[in-house]
Amino acid sequence: MGMKFRCERDKLLEAMSAAGRAVTSRGGALPVLSGVRLELLGGALLVTGSDLDLTISVNIEVAGSADGVAVIPSKLTADVVRALPSGAVEVTVADEEANIVAGSTEFSIRVIPAEDYPNLIPAEEPGSSLAGSAVTIDGASFRAALRQVVPAASVDEARPILTGVLMVPEAGGLRLVSTDSYRLAVKDLAGTSILGEDQKVLVPGRALAELARIIGDSGEVSLRLAEREASFEVGNITLTTRLIEGDFPNYRGLLPTGHPNKLTVERDALLEAVRRVRLLAQESTPVRMAMGPDGLSLTAATADVGKAQESMAAAYEGEELTVAFNPSYLMDGIEVTTGPEITLETMDELKPALLRSVGDEDFLYLLMPVRVS
Amino acid sequence: MRISGRPPDGAVGFVHVDMDAFFASVEIRRHPELRGRPVVVGGAGRRGVVAAASYEARAFGVHSAMPSARARRLCPHAVFLPGDRRCYSEVSARVMAIFEEVTPLVEPLSLDEAFLDVRGAIRTLGPADRIAASIRERVLDQEGLTCSVGVASNKLLAKLATERAKPRSSPEGPVFGSGVHMIAAGAELDFLNPLPVAALWGVGPATARRLAGMGVETVGDLASLPAGRVASALGAANGRKLHRLARGIDDSPVAVDRRPKSIGHEETYPRDLTTPAELGLELTRLADAVASRLRDAGVRARTVNIKVRFGDFTTLTRSVTLPHPVDGTRAVASAAAGLLDQIDPAPGVRLLGISGSGLADGSVRQLSLIDAEASLPDRPDRLDQIDPVVDEIRARFGTSSIGPASLARPGDPLRVRDDGQNRPWGPDAD
Repeated sequence: MGMKFRCERDKLLEAMSAAGRAVTSRGGALPVLSGVRLELLGGALLVTGSDLDLTISVNIEVAGSADGVAVIPSKLTADVVRALPSGAVEVTVADEEANIVAGSTEFSIRVIPAEDYPNLIPAEEPGSSLAGSAVTIDGASFRAALRQVVPAASVDEARPILTGVLMVPEAGGLRLVSTDSYRLAVKDLAGTSILGEDQKVLVPGRALAELARIIGDSGEVSLRLAEREASFEVGNITLTTRLIEGDFPNYRGLLPTGHPNKLTVERDALLEAVRRVRLLAQESTPVRMAMGPDGLSLTAATADVGKAQESMAAAYEGEELTVAFNPSYLMDGIEVTTGPEITLETMDELKPALLRSVGDEDFLYLLMPVRVS
Repeated sequence: MRISGRPPDGAVGFVHVDMDAFFASVEIRRHPELRGRPVVVGGAGRRGVVAAASYEARAFGVHSAMPSARARRLCPHAVFLPGDRRCYSEVSARVMAIFEEVTPLVEPLSLDEAFLDVRGAIRTLGPADRIAASIRERVLDQEGLTCSVGVASNKLLAKLATERAKPRSSPEGPVFGSGVHMIAAGAELDFLNPLPVAALWGVGPATARRLAGMGVETVGDLASLPAGRVASALGAANGRKLHRLARGIDDSPVAVDRRPKSIGHEETYPRDLTTPAELGLELTRLADAVASRLRDAGVRARTVNIKVRFGDFTTLTRSVTLPHPVDGTRAVASAAAGLLDQIDPAPGVRLLGISGSGLADGSVRQLSLIDAEASLPDRPDRLDQIDPVVDEIRARFGTSSIGPASLARPGDPLRVRDDGQNRPWGPDAD
């Protein structure tokens, strides 16, 4: 089937790049999924990339002259479009080739048979379980919330449940929870009521990381939920993700009820200090935090490499204590705990420590220490 | 052809020591009746390979890495011995300790080979060739073993110099070399230029062929080519590196790192394994040995690697990097099993290997929020709690006193892997 349209290079590149982020790099069982699907209907071009778990579709306006469907290699075509000068691009698909012409440059790229492309029903179409009413969420606050919880989700495919972010209703708002079993992030979005009273969903962290990239500084996200999938619409981009089935660990049982020791420290200063000291925490060695009346001392040492030490001012209530942490997990925690001042509450060197921002009751980051024997 | 170029930098203070026919010499030292006879250490089985050959055996064309069966045909009257790696490791450690008395800058390459940077010792101990001769004497005095030593202004030249110092085999018996060969400052290019280009690091058969096609036979030929031509023929990075080596320039330091980079075991089987059950058993055996050595060394592996060689010698490797480093038998076995699952054993597996790499300090352990709560009986890290007990029992009663039950057969000793045994290299014929 032939297809022909003209559009601005920048617009096409944006669509190709966004949809391409859902395309699996691993190839996988279906070679056709290494491509993006173009569907032209009048002046609307729908660009879709998918790995079956995650699908990203971008709708752009083009000057269409022949409707049609084609699947083109995702990475190569995006690289080609990126390399073109700004200005108009003309794309013609005929037989087995896609012709991309800009000024005096012409590329012919072999297409992938479109009939192999799986049937991914767009959310808006009738017949989709996602059809129906959407709930809208404020984009900026949702993006900020996602950036706080996604880093704590696991990336270990061997523990699929932990690769998800749990969304549950909490006190009339929305609660987001993630854990990779070494740390736990809990975020409350007050007043954002998108779920039924007993409804909970487990959304893949990878999809939410992509969603956070897509959400701009303003605007809204509209969310549609179905039994097995969720779809998020941001402007002209729709992200659809499979939901994870299974029971998320009982995170409430993990939340400690009281911490005797409390360190209060300037967030940016701590972040900088950990960033410096961790340079000497190589090969899985931890960063040690020694807390006492004199403040905080950070140390890291790697055998045969060297060591680092930094002291900083901090308010501390409690018994003198040294706790060791995985430097990446600690950094992640400080990064997502926003605000000028943060607290680190501890029980002892083997119990979970709690990071919070002073005056912010809506987010917590719980972190297990590293045991050094 | 003489070429002009920048002479290599630095003082003549790099030393390369290579033990002479190390494993065979150790065997001869503990069995003096073997002196003067051809001795071959290696696997006796159908698929065994020669690990070391005495100079008497080399006169018949036997060399290391040769199939044992071929060595037997070439030299049927040789004494064939299984290897005793534990003994060789002990001797090696004592030899390395001698090097470390001279300089802390010792880079072991294997059990029988090391680089030393003696530049800092020249002021107190005299010129590098004299240091080299004294190292040689001390190894002979203390261990009764000979070694060959190369001395030069960098590692590349020192290693090449060692070849000059080596004993040679001849039909009349071994011809002892000088023992120490030094390439004096300023003589580097005279030494290097006539050597075949394959003498350089990084020149394998393929590169040598490509160079021969350009008319390059000797190191001097290569050095006289314009750098740009070498780079365009061999690739920018590789070409530049080789061109520098050909001009005697090697600024790699003696890398002191006594900690191992990886810990692993591999085994060649007398007949190819084809069923998942057989492979599973061998995997358990290797994982048990690897995990136990990780714990012994006080390290944990972040990455678990497997190596599978099929009957036709096609070799596959697979690796997985775990969220946290492991040293548990179960954890190593399950990571390796996950990798092996991706490989179809149907063509027949000749060799299986497991190793742990990305080694981290074993005393550091990331605690988990969830696992502390869960107490499911089949949690791998709970089963890891038996590892220290197994280690203690083995320390007292020997490696084969306890092990995975799947390795037990009624009436037979437990089939755990034990490097202390006089175990042949490679398998015996069945």
